[in-house]
Amino acid sequence: MKPLQIPVEHKTLGNGLHVVVAPDSTAPVVTVGVYYKIGFRLEPQGRSGFAHLFEHMMFQGSENAAKMQHIKLINSSGGVLNGSTMYDVTNYYEAVPSNALERVLWLEADRMRALKVDDENLRNQRDVVKEEVRVNVMNQPYGGFPWLDMPPVAFRNWANAHNFYGDFADLDAASLADVQAFFRTYYVPNNAVLLILGDVSPADAFALGEKHFANIPAGPAPKFADSAEPKQSEERRGHVVEKFGTLPAMAIGYVMPQRRTPDWCAMALLDQALHGGRAGRIYRDLVLEKQLAVEADGGIDDIFGYNGPTQMTTRILHKPEIASDETLAAFNAVIHDVQEKGITDTELEQLKVKWRSDYFATLEGGRGGYMPRYGLMHLLACFTLFDGEPQLVNAILDGFLAVTKDQVQGVARRYLQPENRAIVFRKPNAVSQEAA
Amino acid sequence: MATQVSRAASAVPELAPEREVRWPQRTKHKLANGLEVILVESHTIPKFHGELFFRSGNAAASARAASLAEMTATMVRTGTTKSTSREIEERLRGLGADLSVSAGQDTSAISFAGLSDYAEQLLQLVSELAREASFPAAEFERERRQKLEEVKLERTQPGFLAGERLRKVLFDRHPYALVSPTEDQVAAYSLDQLQSVYRDFYTPENAILLLVGDFDPVKMQAAVEQVFDSWSGKKPASPDSPTPPKPTGRKVYLVHVPGAVQAQILCGCHAITRKHPDWIKVGLTNSIYGGAFNSRLVMNIREDKGYTYSPRSAVNPLRQYGFFSVSAAVRNEVVAASLTEIFYEIDKLRSLSVPESELTDAQNYLTGVFSMGLATQSGLLSQVSTLALNELPGDYLETYRQKVRALTPGDVLAASRTYLESANMQIVVVGDREQIEPQAALFGELKVFDAQGAQLS
Repeated sequence: MKPLQIPVEHKTLGNGLHVVVAPDSTAPVVTVGVYYKIGFRLEPQGRSGFAHLFEHMMFQGSENAAKMQHIKLINSSGGVLNGSTMYDVTNYYEAVPSNALERVLWLEADRMRALKVDDENLRNQRDVVKEEVRVNVMNQPYGGFPWLDMPPVAFRNWANAHNFYGDFADLDAASLADVQAFFRTYYVPNNAVLLILGDVSPADAFALGEKHFANIPAGPAPKFADSAEPKQSEERRGHVVEKFGTLPAMAIGYVMPQRRTPDWCAMALLDQALHGGRAGRIYRDLVLEKQLAVEADGGIDDIFGYNGPTQMTTRILHKPEIASDETLAAFNAVIHDVQEKGITDTELEQLKVKWRSDYFATLEGGRGGYMPRYGLMHLLACFTLFDGEPQLVNAILDGFLAVTKDQVQGVARRYLQPENRAIVFRKPNAVSQEAA
Repeated sequence: MATQVSRAASAVPELAPEREVRWPQRTKHKLANGLEVILVESHTIPKFHGELFFRSGNAAASARAASLAEMTATMVRTGTTKSTSREIEERLRGLGADLSVSAGQDTSAISFAGLSDYAEQLLQLVSELAREASFPAAEFERERRQKLEEVKLERTQPGFLAGERLRKVLFDRHPYALVSPTEDQVAAYSLDQLQSVYRDFYTPENAILLLVGDFDPVKMQAAVEQVFDSWSGKKPASPDSPTPPKPTGRKVYLVHVPGAVQAQILCGCHAITRKHPDWIKVGLTNSIYGGAFNSRLVMNIREDKGYTYSPRSAVNPLRQYGFFSVSAAVRNEVVAASLTEIFYEIDKLRSLSVPESELTDAQNYLTGVFSMGLATQSGLLSQVSTLALNELPGDYLETYRQKVRALTPGDVLAASRTYLESANMQIVVVGDREQIEPQAALFGELKVFDAQGAQLS
């Protein structure tokens, strides 16, 4: 097994913008990302959903590229683009043939420098976002389950507990002044990282980065609200009505250890032991052996990509004739078993092999589907913004591969406790059961 | 606070000279037992991706039972003559592998990816699944129950209901009309049926093995031969299917979902398969119409009017027939307005030549995105699979860009007139009847169904 040696170079421009370059000439394609260190967790109170609405506004026009130009210029260069809003970061990214690199950097620099949007753009994207929420949440069976259902049950700090997609009243209340204020506060070069990956030399990449971004003025360092949670001392439960689906569901979330600690590494392997597909203990026990559940999955979502309170979450859809209590008891028994007996040597070995393999897969593709190196970009961005160390992408695997059986059992005992968890029950309502 | 606003260069940078796109060599072999093997090197990560395709799927099994190839595929990983379900899953984990067995209309497939270090062990496991699945009765009853819940659940998803209705409308009595079994059909499956599909379909003469990744092709070829040489089995006969009549005249099919807060629109008409000489023309036409973010439909009903989040059009190639489709989930109040724009953009493409600059933009888009398949193992596998399954010419990857670039506004006009059949487009709308029926009825003779498929009016 060779150690990982992805070439990574990192510089910081005078205005505080981090530039990270990872060259690879396998294909004549470059992936470019700009990450801002602000996500939906710390959006303004009274403006739920604003960070995501704002992300849409970043495609609506900047100083020298009018509405539709961003999309048109990338597509017509042979590339694809998108953006996404996460807990603690928002990203904008493109994959293009490498001859379009400078054009992409120009576009990203233009919208980092100045947004040029109007009320009409805001109205338009507010409508688009509402349809996004309807198609993904309100008009789908189990829409938003559990990622939108869990936070208000599990957390007490508004930052962690509010509706991240946004209440429609809050979306309606958002104004153009809010858009510009958010932009001025968080979208400054000293709160961002530019990533250039793929078919380019580091020298060229840094020169182009300097050329287009260096004269964007820095802003005051953003002040971030405290997202710490008050200490939890009891199990928390909540209930949500399922409007369309036919099966009762539940989600169980345990608050995670601090990131980049030995406990965090051990939890990642415990997660693999519990949620690793059909070999995972939860699926094996609840679906394959006891046959109470129809679906049982989950885990730590985007383990490298958060910078505040988060959970490892199990999502279960169970058979209608099985009571929720019985399903939960079976889940508890799986947890109890790993707390009492730990895991075997063979199991640990398998978990590590699978973890390593999954890590490579993340680097190459990851969440972006047809977006080469999305995962590598995402990890480099998070390691830069949260840790100041993009090189962690090569080193971080070691911590996970060093985890012992005792550590896995230890975190199971300490973290998988009722006073560290929250449960959301999502049950079909009687009307929809009759109609079905 | 900056007192002086910095300015960017206001002109869009020109594109630099294009770097050559060089597709990797594909090594092809045919084993004595008929198994076709295609190997492609890609050293992006120390892993490899593979597919073992069988050229028979649900359509070829449709005379026996609905979606039978899919249920068979589900069972393949649940036990072999050598390993229990649990042993199979733990072996996979120990090899760092992901694996799925699935079936569509035209193929069944074992898809897998794993660490290069353990390539031979993973091939052995794939071979065991392809040759020695044992169909344990207890596993079957569990999977059958899972399937029953799954088919109930999918009837609560607007996207599924729309797709299912459109297939029925376009393909009538052809097997392609059927996308999922009923609960009764699932209840009637027997182990004998599954085993006979497995025996008939999972044979080397009926198979293609594709491997893409970080390996030495000479060593990999040796491993493949060692693992698969002793396998034998004939190609199954392919049953005839009735030719589906092309529906004529616009008709509207409303699937009533009480309480829906949005309407899922899906329109479609017959088009062509991948093998058809016009495929690339239709692909380019589709990308101008609604196949890209920058397309006319997206700019119109999303970026201009805000009716929808994710409008898209697509050309969907099945082996025997293809169809063109347009989809958008829109708010209830704008069903008629959205359909009006969907048809406006189709009719415009059918009436007026595309401006040269828009054509060039679309050509660049299509060729650029096509080459992105090179950058990842899974992207490359998907490109090579398309070639192999459709028996496209060996230089298809290398010549695709030139073929796209050679197309003219006249080609797009001709393809639009032939394949974007505005007058014969079938319209499916899934939503709450009370909210949307009067709007939907404006576009043609209307039939209403419930989510279970029963006609209400």
